[in-house]
Amino acid sequence: MTALAADGLTKTFGDERAVDDVEFTVDDGEFFALIGPSGCGKTTTLRLLAGLSTPDAGVVRVGGEDITDQPARDRPTNMVFQDLVLFPHMTVAENVAYGLKQAGMPAADRTSRVEDTLALVEMSQFADRDPTQLSGGQQQRVALARALATEPDVLLLDEPLSSLDRALRAEMEAEFRRIQRDAATSFLYVTHDQTSAMSMADRIAVMRDGQIRDIGAPDRLYERPQTRFVADFLGDATVLSGTVTEVDSTVTVDTPAGTVRADPNGQAASVDETVSVMIRPESVTVGTGSITGTVIDHAYKGFFEEATVELSSGGQLTVRRGEDSTAAVRADGSAAVGSDPGAFAVGDSVRLQITEAVLVEA
Amino acid sequence: MGTADEQSTLREGVIAGVPVSVAIAVGVLPLIVLFVESIGPGLGTAAYQEAVSPLYRGTLLYSLGVGVVVTGVCLAIAYPVTYWVAHRCPRRYRLALLVTLTLPLWLNYVVLNYSWVWILARGGLLNTVATSLGLIAEPLDLLYNDISMFIGFVYIYLPYVVLTLYVSMERLDYRLIEAARDLGATNRRLFLDVILPSTLPGAIAAALIVYARIAGAFATPAILGGPGNVMIASLITEAFRQYVDYGFAAALSFVFLAVVVVALLGGATIPQVREELRQW
Repeated sequence: MTALAADGLTKTFGDERAVDDVEFTVDDGEFFALIGPSGCGKTTTLRLLAGLSTPDAGVVRVGGEDITDQPARDRPTNMVFQDLVLFPHMTVAENVAYGLKQAGMPAADRTSRVEDTLALVEMSQFADRDPTQLSGGQQQRVALARALATEPDVLLLDEPLSSLDRALRAEMEAEFRRIQRDAATSFLYVTHDQTSAMSMADRIAVMRDGQIRDIGAPDRLYERPQTRFVADFLGDATVLSGTVTEVDSTVTVDTPAGTVRADPNGQAASVDETVSVMIRPESVTVGTGSITGTVIDHAYKGFFEEATVELSSGGQLTVRRGEDSTAAVRADGSAAVGSDPGAFAVGDSVRLQITEAVLVEA
Repeated sequence: MGTADEQSTLREGVIAGVPVSVAIAVGVLPLIVLFVESIGPGLGTAAYQEAVSPLYRGTLLYSLGVGVVVTGVCLAIAYPVTYWVAHRCPRRYRLALLVTLTLPLWLNYVVLNYSWVWILARGGLLNTVATSLGLIAEPLDLLYNDISMFIGFVYIYLPYVVLTLYVSMERLDYRLIEAARDLGATNRRLFLDVILPSTLPGAIAAALIVYARIAGAFATPAILGGPGNVMIASLITEAFRQYVDYGFAAALSFVFLAVVVVALLGGATIPQVREELRQW
């Protein structure tokens, strides 16, 4: 069942189309992420869905019902705002009870619902505190509880974790996922952080310049993005331009990195056409293969090491290698062994093999 | 090394002490002189007994009442105005609008009062426009009554209230308003639950600032009020000038001061209000 549907949503500010014919659906109980670089229109889209802003065109449906003309207070959606905005003059419990009170729920029911919701976000012992006495992560839990208490059909979240530090953010991401499952509510989560989106969401929509460029499951978007923009936005990618030499179940492309067999990825390519091939760093095996190149830069990234390799045939590739990978072969032919066998060094000659590549729109 | 510290403390004490003494002398000395005058040569309370006699008590209460009503009207106007300027008005017009709203602050208030004489008089702007448009047949008596006095008061004191309230209103996070709306709050609940608690200290501070000045105003009732609008300041002035009864005039002043100071102290016990008052 579809919980929320946006159909042809458009919003213009002056000459700028902030949201341009946006269309997507969120299923019941789905964790849906709307991501894109800042200024892409994702927050404006969320405000249109919440009823805090009116679209110039398009329809918003919740549970099949057209709610485009309903004000925010009548909508069965609740919003969790960026930067933890709790009512400062109310306790934690009063904050969580606020929506229930507005809906006219009797005091006794309200108390038990507030208790349940606070238990869900693991904040029961803080019910009588003032919001200012809480840490950032705790405030975020309360903000989530406040929005969940009225049992909205869809919860709209606007970068709720952006003001938290990295470690807390990771912890809260896992919590959001758990709470979303336990509450069985559809979440529409807006963020510019593709890593959080990929780790939390069932499906992701990628926005740019007010338009949705691609929608899909995180692994599909990461491995088989439709466009170069999506490929770059979701992670490191090398995009090589080349000429198609052969088309069968795969597409053979002549690129600066040599001949690459790429997945057509739904695109109709014909021989002699110029196409773009996307290669993820982890799709390149270092140590063996027909491609040769020289390391021109490298960086230690923790659990793997990354190197930029200038290929003998021209062009560059970003490659990665874990600590246990085959050692690189030094320019003089000796294996780079020693205290740190996994490390790249500038000037190292490496052999590479591309194991996976897909065609993308430039 | 204590001596060097002691010397510098002494020097600082002298440097700070001189201007502070001057300020206290200039500020408090007239009050002391006035107080001595009010109790007269015989340390009597006669002047005070007369000042709180029913005859003058009425004027005092009327003055305080005008203060309350005008302050209330100013707040009622300032709330929607400051809300709109702080949260709905496009940012680039905000400063210009605020300056325009508070423009009367920069003019002499006697002049401001007379501008309303010119507008409200029988042959004045309003009557001339209304009669020539055929809205009224005969010019109306708008001047020298309660209406003209209240208009003058609101006009002169509204900028103070707007400016004071604006500071709290701007500090109110607009997303709180959106969050309350999103959770189903009606406009009434929104005002009572979110806007009022956040801006109340500002509103009280604004009230404390203008209330005493309105209740103790001299020019506005004299210029725009009618013969019936006798306020405490007129009474005190009359006692000084006409009856040359300095003791009584001083006693009246102190009774009024006492009422005002009690109100101020009452308001200032609230820490948030103290915070708002600090800007003045």
